[in-house]
Amino acid sequence: MTDHTMKAFDTDLQDLARMVAEMGGLAEKQVADSVDALAKRDTALAQRVSAADANIDALQREIEERAVLTIARRQPMAVDLREIVGALRLANDLERIGDLAKNIAKRVMALNGEFPPPKLIRGVEHMTVLVLQQMKLVLDAYGRRDVGKAMTVWRSDEEIDAVCTSVFRELLTYMMEDPRNITFCIHLMFCAKNIERMGDHATNIAETVHYIIEGHPIADQRPKGDTTTIAALRTAG
Amino acid sequence: MNSSSSPLYAKRRRRNFITMALAYGATGFGLTWLVVILAVLLWEGFSGLSWAVFTEMTPPPGSAGGLLNPIAGSLVMTVIAVLIGTPLGILAGTYMAEYGRYDKLTTVVRFINDILLSAPSIVIGLFIYEIMVAQMGHFSGWAGAVSLAVIVVPVVVRTTEDMLILVPDTLREAAASIGLPRSLMIQKVAYRAARAGMVTGVLLAVARISGETAPLLFTALNNQFWSTNLNGPVSSLPVVIFQFALSPYKDWQKLAWTGALIITLAVLALSIIARILAAQRKTS
Amino acid sequence: MSVAAITVPTVTHVLSKDEDLMEKVSIRNLDFFYGDNRALKGINVSLYQGEVTAFIGPSGCGKSTLLRILNRMYDLYPNQRATGHVTIDNEDILSSSQDLNLLRAKVGMVFQKPTPFPMTIFENIAFGIRLYERVSKSELEDRVRHALERAALWEEVKDKLGANGLSLSGGQQQRLCIARTVAVQPEVILFDEPCSALDPISTAKIEELIDELKDDYTIAIVTHNMQQAARVSDFTAFMYLGELVEFGETTRIFTTPTDRRTQDYITGRFG
Repeated sequence: MTDHTMKAFDTDLQDLARMVAEMGGLAEKQVADSVDALAKRDTALAQRVSAADANIDALQREIEERAVLTIARRQPMAVDLREIVGALRLANDLERIGDLAKNIAKRVMALNGEFPPPKLIRGVEHMTVLVLQQMKLVLDAYGRRDVGKAMTVWRSDEEIDAVCTSVFRELLTYMMEDPRNITFCIHLMFCAKNIERMGDHATNIAETVHYIIEGHPIADQRPKGDTTTIAALRTAG
Repeated sequence: MNSSSSPLYAKRRRRNFITMALAYGATGFGLTWLVVILAVLLWEGFSGLSWAVFTEMTPPPGSAGGLLNPIAGSLVMTVIAVLIGTPLGILAGTYMAEYGRYDKLTTVVRFINDILLSAPSIVIGLFIYEIMVAQMGHFSGWAGAVSLAVIVVPVVVRTTEDMLILVPDTLREAAASIGLPRSLMIQKVAYRAARAGMVTGVLLAVARISGETAPLLFTALNNQFWSTNLNGPVSSLPVVIFQFALSPYKDWQKLAWTGALIITLAVLALSIIARILAAQRKTS
Repeated sequence: MSVAAITVPTVTHVLSKDEDLMEKVSIRNLDFFYGDNRALKGINVSLYQGEVTAFIGPSGCGKSTLLRILNRMYDLYPNQRATGHVTIDNEDILSSSQDLNLLRAKVGMVFQKPTPFPMTIFENIAFGIRLYERVSKSELEDRVRHALERAALWEEVKDKLGANGLSLSGGQQQRLCIARTVAVQPEVILFDEPCSALDPISTAKIEELIDELKDDYTIAIVTHNMQQAARVSDFTAFMYLGELVEFGETTRIFTTPTDRRTQDYITGRFG
């Protein structure tokens, strides 16, 4: 695409994109570190993750401020306007992902010695790998403005949801076996739910990328594989 | 860095000073002569001004008298000339500026008009002599008025065309855009906008013809006595001044000076009125 | 890419509005010549009753030229001619049998530079009315008042109707011109960059005025201010080098234009 006649406008848009990419990198790291802390039972790491969330929040505020300034000064139209709106939505989703990672880290600190057996963590780790893949792919799609990659991410959310459902089932059975397992199982359930929601946010980002490039939201319904809400009823029943 | 002490700047300042000095000098030179002429006129002519000048006829040499018949004659012939020349001039100027602005005919007419504008008035006088005086067999006030009209027309054509062209086209388009037909647009919009300029043009034409002597010599000649018959020779101020100034009689020469002063003051008054009118339109 | 090869532009009539659109002005295959120079090439566009259509594009693209064809203003000058079909209410206005004065009363125009007549404020408006109709003095006063009210100028001048039109401020003069145009009861109003010579407050007042007027007229506006086009119009046409590149609903043109050139222009990537 040709440059704007006003070079400062191009600079504004590039700065926004750069800040979003930076935020994405930070969020990815937070996700990986938080689950790492869970697996390695590393409370020190968990604390660092919790503290580092402030950086992500600060970046989101900066992006919002910059976006509002750009709108006020440049009166953006068409694709430029969608870029800025997209940057705002991405910042929002990435900030939520950061919060969810922080939540996992807090639970690691809460567990404090009462750690669940490694085999239960496998499921959560598997989910995390999938979510990190989604995040990397969707941030790549944003950076290269690649609609194909965005759509791939959008359709792949089902898999994560499916793994989350199976983790829930596993945890339910474990809780029913022995009441002493309930505490850490509940924490683990929340962690799994958090990761599943990270996947949803990644899918949101994919929808935003599609909107930026195509100019209209995705027409189809998002494929849903998450049956956790009804899973409990069936096993209990 | 441009400092005020650089040699280039100094050279410019010198040149500026010299040019301004020349401009002031030229203005002073012109103004001086103007003042001298007016002073001499006032000096020589003022003492002769009295009621008698405006109420008594031209006297034979040696007796007292006034300038009543030349003043009346000049007035009448000027008015008739304006009445003939102004409509012709305005209509022609209107055609050139409005209807035929881009026509070849307009270019030709404009060229001829410019020539007529600076035609020697004696040639005009001779021409009218041939076609009117010679045909009619005698001198007449009518011929005098017509020759003056021939001088009025090019002036009015020129000023009318110029003033109408100055009216911005956007105003014409605005008039057209509410469906105004062209003739109405010219009457109600263009004329109104150019009114001050056009009136000034007519006044300038009047000022011009009030001093023309040569054409009147061939057409209206002169008349010592009071005459209301335009079909015969009619007296006029410029001709009388010509006659009296060249004569050896002192009182005639005095009357000539007074006549010159009267013409000058009349033209001055007309110019001032024209200026006042133009200024009024600008502020309203 | 050869731009000249495109004679039928991407005129996407994506009419997602529910209301029925009545075509008031229809322009088909319009060419315009300044002497031998072809300034407009194969223009196809429609103006709809009760809607505002904006024409945008870089300098020299032909938008003002197009506007001035609609009231045959070019007829005042030699060496300018139009070919093609332009119909208003199915009457071909380019035909030689078209009465120009009647056309111009039906299609009013407001110009870039406010040009009140050198008359009183009252006369400026009464003048046009008296041209076509024989009205009593009281009815004339009513009509003048109504026109000034429609132009949102009545309150400001009602005590000085006898003042010269040129004594008003720029924004007021422009509203006076709008009142003058409205007084002869046109059906179509053309605005040729009406706010370029005005300050932001006057501009806002005139934009508000256009919004109020559009219910009763068909309005076309040429503007080089894109934000104004986005604010004021229902339909937008983008022109470039004498061609109509894209036409559609304003909301679509300014958010998701189809043609690359349209997008480049509205995002400031031109030149």
